[in-house]
Amino acid sequence: MSNGIKLILLLAEILTVGSALVVAVNPNILYSAVFLLFSFLGVAVMFLFAGADFLAATQVVVYVGGVTILILFAIMLTQWMYRLKLRDVGSKFIVPAVVLALGLVPMLHRGLTDLARMVKAAPPEKMSEFAASPKTMEIGKALLGSHVLPFEAITILLLGALVGAVWLARPKS
Amino acid sequence: METGYISAFWFIVIAAVTVPLMLGVGALLRPKSIPTKKGTQAYECGEDPIGSAWVKFNIRFYVVAIIFIIFDVEVAAVLPAATLYKDAVLNGNGAWVFAELFLFIALLVLGLIYCWVRGDLEWVKGVTKFAPKK
Amino acid sequence: MANNSALFAQTLTDWTQGTFLAPVPLWVWAMVSALVVIYLLALPFGGIATYIERKIAADMQDRIGPNRVGPLGLFQFAADAVKMLSKEDYVPPAGDKFLFNIAPVLVVVGSCAGFVALPLGQYLVAGDVNIGVFYILAVTTLIAPGILLGSWASENKWSLLGGLRSAAQIVSYEIPVALSILPVILISGSLQVGEIVKQQGWNPDLPIAANAHFWNVVHNPFTVFAFFILFVGGLAETNRIPFDLPEAESELVSGFNTEFSGMRFGLYALGEFVDVFVMCAMLAALYLGGWQLPFLELDKFWITLPSGLIALIHVGVFLVKTLLLVFVVMWLRWTLPRLRVDQLMGLCWKGMVPLALFNVLGTAIWVWAFKGQSMIQVAMGLFSGGGSSH
Repeated sequence: MSNGIKLILLLAEILTVGSALVVAVNPNILYSAVFLLFSFLGVAVMFLFAGADFLAATQVVVYVGGVTILILFAIMLTQWMYRLKLRDVGSKFIVPAVVLALGLVPMLHRGLTDLARMVKAAPPEKMSEFAASPKTMEIGKALLGSHVLPFEAITILLLGALVGAVWLARPKS
Repeated sequence: METGYISAFWFIVIAAVTVPLMLGVGALLRPKSIPTKKGTQAYECGEDPIGSAWVKFNIRFYVVAIIFIIFDVEVAAVLPAATLYKDAVLNGNGAWVFAELFLFIALLVLGLIYCWVRGDLEWVKGVTKFAPKK
Repeated sequence: MANNSALFAQTLTDWTQGTFLAPVPLWVWAMVSALVVIYLLALPFGGIATYIERKIAADMQDRIGPNRVGPLGLFQFAADAVKMLSKEDYVPPAGDKFLFNIAPVLVVVGSCAGFVALPLGQYLVAGDVNIGVFYILAVTTLIAPGILLGSWASENKWSLLGGLRSAAQIVSYEIPVALSILPVILISGSLQVGEIVKQQGWNPDLPIAANAHFWNVVHNPFTVFAFFILFVGGLAETNRIPFDLPEAESELVSGFNTEFSGMRFGLYALGEFVDVFVMCAMLAALYLGGWQLPFLELDKFWITLPSGLIALIHVGVFLVKTLLLVFVVMWLRWTLPRLRVDQLMGLCWKGMVPLALFNVLGTAIWVWAFKGQSMIQVAMGLFSGGGSSH
């Protein structure tokens, strides 16, 4: 990896961990939700560096486009919640949280640069799995081949989640 | 990482920089603003706003978002299998992939039908049921 | 890799080999291509589109429209830009300054980043990423949180209502949009936009079996419906009439952008137009053959032309297709009344989602039954097969 690419990776890591830190310590719950969005974006960029572009896009579509909106709706649903100032948690754990977050950045960086190096060093016949278009197809092959049972289990899980979620949100008489 | 994402990175950076850049150009061009009492109020067609705008709103937005996420995950899970489909058909394995896709979609259609029948897709819910008496 | 040669940045690097620009690294060319596409295509399109929309509106209502600034009022958008730049910059004092400032950034990034995966021509694409279509879907999701946060930060009742409606509408219609892209993926077996476009050529000299299928919109009866669902879903995703409830003038003043003034409003409007362009361009690429010119592609005719001219024709064809769709979007604005919010949600979940799911299954069956051949190929196969048996 060139230095420029490494810099982008480092920025993504700092974005992820820094935003996560703000999520944890910010007293305003709406700001926490907004920084969660940036944290999700940072994770998506890290997926890209790991060679998993399909997962990165899924991360953005599901988490940024779906979960963040859901969280924002949930916060805005409850009128008293965005006036609420969450103080006690932030002040008590701020120092360990910052230390932990700062410790996480080098770990992530090391892990992802190593992964990228492995991708680069992969033998030519395996290179196609990482480099070109078949990557999404590889996921598809896995989902329809060795992982067919989990794939179907996802369907049942999604169905259950759908039924359960709308049941919870339904007005009770 | 693909070279294409380097372009994507620059697109995102340049688009993000465009916003403060344009606002900055505006700040250089425009005359100094003199805020007035009416001018700094929330705009409600000239009326003085009553109370905060940050009001509680209906839970149906939340229901829509939940149903959306479930379907979104479904689409994301189906996409890799869908990219395989054409090759599988040409190689004679079409039935297997088709069965998978069909089962996956059918179960979600079942969920959609459940929501539909139970009235979760109705935007105006329970008007008669929860209407105040008299 | 063959894919990478299709990139702007890679092409520029290859071209400049041996010249004095040779030491310029790839990432600089990537940056240059981003600058060119955003500042010379996306943003000017947004500006000129406002003028064209006003002209079209005027024509349809038997008015003259903007005609004072420059010939035919052509420089109206420049005058508008100057006006917006010189307007008072207003941040609601009771609102939330931080969120108010980042909201337009999310909207502009979400709309401009979609350009990366759009192939303007065969070898003209900023970054033809493998997950192409899915990438465009992913980056455009940034717009919904942007609009919602901006409307909340305004501390205005109109804004909040508009923003909530917008977010609910965008997330709802994302499902039919994504489901209407699935048929194309089933047909072409790729997510890469460049690859999808390449498969939509039609060469009369080749035998039918060896030919690429024609435009995806006429691939089979189901894709015709999928095309319309994608178009209507795109209208809703970009908050265009008849789905402009988020900014319904008659009830919400200006909806989610009520408190946005001057250039902040301008950026929102620009973001919306750029998003319309991205949607229409995606539609043109996925269903209308992108830069492919019908019946002439891959033909001997092209080989005689210089490559630069072919590239220009490709870009022209792609832009014509896209702008025709943009014109239809503007045309609809003066044709259809606005939907009610319950009709909007009903149309999405009870109409378009089931129909889109039906299209996916129908296309899957078609591809299976006819081995991936299009309607035209099947019909011509029948014709030639019947001819040879006699």
